[in-house]
Amino acid sequence: MSRDLHNEIKTKLKDDIMQGALTKFAEQYPGARLKSYENVGDGSQEAIDELRDDLRDMKLRTVDSIEKYADEFQKSVEARGGVVYRAKDGDDLKEYLIKIANENGVKRIVKSKSMATEEIHLNHDLEEKGFHVRETDLGEWMLAVAGQKPSHMVMPAIHLNRQQCAKFFSQELKEEIPSDIPFMIQTARRVLREEFRAADMGITGANFGVAENGAIGLVTNEGNARLVTTLPRIHVVIIGYEKLIPKVKDIAKIVRLLPRNGTCQRMTSYMTMIDGPTPVIYKKDGEWVEENRKQYVILLDNGRLKAAHDPKMRQAFQCVRCASCLNVCPIWTLVGGHVYGHIYSGGIGAILTGLLGKGSMEAFGQFSDLCIGCRKCVSICPGKVPIPDLIDELRHRNVKEKGLAFPEKMAFQHILTNRKLFHTLLRTASLAQKPVQSGKFIRHLPLFFAHLTEGRSLPAVSDKPFRDRMAELSKNNPKNPVKRVAFFSGCNLDFVFPDTAENVVKVLQDLNMEVVFPEAQSCCGKPAIGMGDRDTGKVLAKQNIEAFEKAGADVIVCACPTCAETLEKTYVEMFAEDSKWRTRVELFAAKIREFTSFVAEEYEKQGRLKETEGAEKVTYHDSCHMRRGLNVWKEPRALLKAAKDVDFVEMHNPDKCCGMAGAFGMRYAEISLPMLKEKLNNVKNTGASTVAVACPACMMQIGGGLDQDLPDVKVKHIADILAERL
Amino acid sequence: MEKVCRNWPKEAFSKDLINPNSWKEFEENAKLAAAEVYRLPDMAAAKEKLIELLKSLEVKSILAVGGDEYPALDKLYKDLAAEGNAIHTEKFDIAESANTADLGISTAEFGIGETGSLCVDNYSYEARVTSMMPPVNLVFMNADYTTTDVDTAFDVISKVFDKGYMGFVTGPSRTADIERVLSLGVHGPSRLIIFAMDSGMERSDD
Ligand code: SF4
Ligand code: SF4
Repeated sequence: MSRDLHNEIKTKLKDDIMQGALTKFAEQYPGARLKSYENVGDGSQEAIDELRDDLRDMKLRTVDSIEKYADEFQKSVEARGGVVYRAKDGDDLKEYLIKIANENGVKRIVKSKSMATEEIHLNHDLEEKGFHVRETDLGEWMLAVAGQKPSHMVMPAIHLNRQQCAKFFSQELKEEIPSDIPFMIQTARRVLREEFRAADMGITGANFGVAENGAIGLVTNEGNARLVTTLPRIHVVIIGYEKLIPKVKDIAKIVRLLPRNGTCQRMTSYMTMIDGPTPVIYKKDGEWVEENRKQYVILLDNGRLKAAHDPKMRQAFQCVRCASCLNVCPIWTLVGGHVYGHIYSGGIGAILTGLLGKGSMEAFGQFSDLCIGCRKCVSICPGKVPIPDLIDELRHRNVKEKGLAFPEKMAFQHILTNRKLFHTLLRTASLAQKPVQSGKFIRHLPLFFAHLTEGRSLPAVSDKPFRDRMAELSKNNPKNPVKRVAFFSGCNLDFVFPDTAENVVKVLQDLNMEVVFPEAQSCCGKPAIGMGDRDTGKVLAKQNIEAFEKAGADVIVCACPTCAETLEKTYVEMFAEDSKWRTRVELFAAKIREFTSFVAEEYEKQGRLKETEGAEKVTYHDSCHMRRGLNVWKEPRALLKAAKDVDFVEMHNPDKCCGMAGAFGMRYAEISLPMLKEKLNNVKNTGASTVAVACPACMMQIGGGLDQDLPDVKVKHIADILAERL
Repeated sequence: MEKVCRNWPKEAFSKDLINPNSWKEFEENAKLAAAEVYRLPDMAAAKEKLIELLKSLEVKSILAVGGDEYPALDKLYKDLAAEGNAIHTEKFDIAESANTADLGISTAEFGIGETGSLCVDNYSYEARVTSMMPPVNLVFMNADYTTTDVDTAFDVISKVFDKGYMGFVTGPSRTADIERVLSLGVHGPSRLIIFAMDSGMERSDD
């Protein structure tokens, strides 16, 4: 069934209760997280990264030999008296579980939170078979009562307020429950206590399973998992293969990070390890008896083993399900968890949905757009899962399998790869837009395109692209240059911001460098690659590499970080397996330099990076690709601080995405605009008269927003600011 | 009482792992996690403090474990019983009173500086029930037994953890599932009180 994602998103954006909760949470989370890390080493990013590297390495080592560790784990559990079953998928697991429940005369089941059981819709099937099943995690219990889905892996009910919760309490208990939080908590305690006491079977997930001794671990705050594993006479563990780790000492690698990232605690209230059957005391025929609890451990595959053997997707095994990637995601914090897959939400949710279970790719395809590749999640993920890269890979596979939708196919495979045709179309666009253009912006578009310009103006395509201006500029090339620089402009600088492209050339020429512009250069390919069309990406890559090889330059400068990242990193990855092209691609990639970091380095050599004072207040917005893709953020600030007459001011959350993210900002205007509004607000609060950027896409987005909301504030590329001061 | 390790100090502790200097950090982090921490010189002081608590909490029924391991605790429990308190120390008794007792007294093997966690060995059913079911959990520990960080804690644990039920307890049971408002005591105790003893935690098998 095809989903109407736009509509779902709109509903969520109008849910004021959820919006209020998410905004507040997104604001508080980063600081609280860092505070919990203050006593790790010296509390520095390096100290945190050391733990993250350790965790990632341990998980990767494990996935390399996943079968070996699974065998060892199974042996360990069995040696201690537990029973192990390996379930290939949800149906297999449910069949087995129902069988053992019947064999043991089970009627009532209590559960503590387990994503794996949600993934296979276990509760539904058990209830259908007549078992009485209760979730005992407070949030999960409320949602089960409400018939709702969790919107977050750690805070499942974050989208609800106390009044809504009280309503569900009242429904379930058939009595009026006031919306007083402590009262609701005590009521839940009382009601669920009876569930624990009456249950025959407890089902838990596991945060880890230790191969060397068969222990499983449960990291919780409420303590329900301890009761689920203490009171009932049978314990069933449902654990995905990705949770296996080799040794007891490896647990430290998980639990030093998981609570800090997940809930900003140095440790959760309970970290419980259960190894084999343990004693249980219960009433049998009216008499207290003590015996060993029966323990069943079910290892769930459901697509995991295939992923484990996939050279790229195996990185999903680095995930410890802390959900912090959602907490910092500009998309998740805006739309919440419900518009993602059926269970797993956020960026990692897209990946897990794409890998696990039946029809996973279809489900992924329905919401795979909801990652803009800002890499914020990668910068904090405990296991360093390269989330946007894995999403890109899945998009690519999805496209390979199903093909692109017609308009994209047309645009990428027939237009983008044909430079002449593409450029002719862009030139035609510059004429076609005339009726709706005013100044440098398109403010309104006719009819059904109108929503694209709602709250934001679109920049007009320039009359005279940069490529037509280069011949004139070349005349100013120095006689005895210190370097020969080839300029890769990218489409935006060429056709939308040619003045800025000119300024790039001027700044480089001022450094006594010769600048050349290989005419045959084309789009870097990111729009197509980002949509999963790597074939088009490769065609464009080859065109560009050939064009620049002929230029014989020392360096290739890009003033667009997205292009720079694509040329430097993505090209190399795309041709990693191609023996014919690999070396050429690597030579090309080695020459790529992002403009501001390149210029800052040269200015530093010439002693031009001294901080100065000035009257013009300028703030700076970090492009996502620049800050986290290229790790460049100090250099643009250094350039601004050294620029004559500039008074540099930092804005709040300078590195939060402005909402453009390539074509995403156009296709999902409803998400892009709130992000833009937040950015504009942060700009406004600095009192700056100029926002500096180092990325033409951000320039387009922020410029368009300023044009409508803050017409007195200008957006400028750093190249513009530098060129004005030559 | 069944345990993961019968004698943690003897089998798992060593000078390079157990560092009494981590006490301060332990205390700080335990309090940060909403635990109440009392450092006490001896069992007489502990008893005095405990009686105060019994009064203020209006405790009617107590579950208590660890008497078989620590003679001083055994004596404390017997004294309390003699003074007319309903205190359950036998496992079936504990099971019978688990849902109605207002205080559970249990023990921890060591504390962890980095997190303020107690490392607890809960292999036995009665130890788990005692620490989880009543609304208040009082935990005795030897104040000298702390590790600096979680890594060291697992160096200790890995020496003896071969089978059973154990883990960390860090502050009381909590939830933030409604409006992210922190609420204590959702399934387990709403108060975790730590008695860290300078003396009195000598073991019966030493
Ligand atoms: S991908 Fe990383 S941040 Fe996201 S849930 Fe997994 S471990 Fe946490
Ligand atoms: S890359 Fe950005 S948009 Fe994509 S999942 Fe990560 S935080 Fe969200």
